[in-house]
Amino acid sequence: MTHSLHRRGSACSLKEDFVILVTPAVDINHKDSGEKLWKILDIVTEVGPNNIGSYETGTIYTGITIDEIRANMPETPRVRCCFDSKEKMHEVIRRIKEEDLGLSITISGLNEEVLDICQDLDIKPHSVNYSLGVHGATELLPPEEVLELLTMCGHGMISKDLVKKAIDEVKRGRKTPYDAAVMVAQPCVCGIFNVSRAERLLSKYVGQ
Amino acid sequence: MLINKELCIGCGLCVPYCPVNAISIKDRKAEIDQDSCTECGTCGRRSIVKCPTSAFYDREDVTKYPRSIRKYFSDPMATHVETKVPGRGTEEIKTNDVTGRVGKGQYGIGIEMGRPSVATSYRDVEKMTMALAKFDIEHEPCNPIKFLFEDEKKGTLTKEALEQRVISTIIEFNVDKDQLIPVLETIMETGKTLDTVFSLDLIARFEDTDKMPEIPDLSGLGLEPRPNSKINLGLGRPLKED
Repeated sequence: MTHSLHRRGSACSLKEDFVILVTPAVDINHKDSGEKLWKILDIVTEVGPNNIGSYETGTIYTGITIDEIRANMPETPRVRCCFDSKEKMHEVIRRIKEEDLGLSITISGLNEEVLDICQDLDIKPHSVNYSLGVHGATELLPPEEVLELLTMCGHGMISKDLVKKAIDEVKRGRKTPYDAAVMVAQPCVCGIFNVSRAERLLSKYVGQ
Repeated sequence: MLINKELCIGCGLCVPYCPVNAISIKDRKAEIDQDSCTECGTCGRRSIVKCPTSAFYDREDVTKYPRSIRKYFSDPMATHVETKVPGRGTEEIKTNDVTGRVGKGQYGIGIEMGRPSVATSYRDVEKMTMALAKFDIEHEPCNPIKFLFEDEKKGTLTKEALEQRVISTIIEFNVDKDQLIPVLETIMETGKTLDTVFSLDLIARFEDTDKMPEIPDLSGLGLEPRPNSKINLGLGRPLKED
């Protein structure tokens, strides 16, 4: 699906927010892709993601180690993770390109930032999935400050009530912005929720 | 998902975690509304919700049709049987460089019903697929919604599917460039009749790799691309040539 698309918030708040997905294509190049995925996991680990997980195991914010993620790779494995700096994202892509592994890579982020990385690494991007926003019965949506947090899990695993609880606990001084961000991050089982960004977004509620 | 009332101590810890507000406390016990529950599995994950008595357990029919529709379209840790893809069951742009699903001269459209935060019934999904039927579109064959049609030409879904509710589901198809505006007009018009929301995707191919692909001015429809998107870097092999 398009779970890394449709992240809400201002361009400024999305500046340090990148999601990388590595996807073997079923019946095209997924067979024997495990070793390549492990190579990419090595690269990702060495550079240092903000969050990482897999459908099979959950994420590093739920007590899973990267070794456990590796050990539970399925026949059609995937790598998905989140970076909170352009420099790190650039380094990961540079090294993956250098390895020439032949797996499909998508990056979600601000258009200008991703294009900038591509141009610097002489990568010719293939296609784009634009977000044209949310429509229909939009009166059912929670407030924008809730949406900018919960849309970091595109599978919809983060409830609006959990985000409201996190905001409330930061306001009351019961949780630090970081601890509240981790609480909100946990239901996102594949690990693309950017905890650094969430911590920044939640920090504005301190002392309110 | 179900709750063992013998084990539940009514602490309420689980309540804010449910993405569709299906859990409530009644008579000091947690209760899950089975019509609202999408079987996403969040409440039962002990590493997340940490129910002190492990009171959650799966319904016996959770992986049996038609209840399985809820599970496979809502729980990202479940893999769709038909497409072998987890999540919402489609690779969409993620592998477009090797599948060529969206070719040059085309746009790909994804209508992500229920997203974000609201969830959707398949009755609302059918309103959209029926409205689009007049364009004689072909729904993406590797998207699991394909298996829920009663009559794809008419856009009607099976009666079992119509009774189900999921976190989100993606209506996915390609259009030729001259079809884009009338199709988007129909989507936006149908959106006014829904009891849910939808996130709208537009997939385009790069022509000049130094700048983002140009798309028509859609402001008259109230549509404007957000500054963030998802870009396929074209590093997959073998590259699918058009």
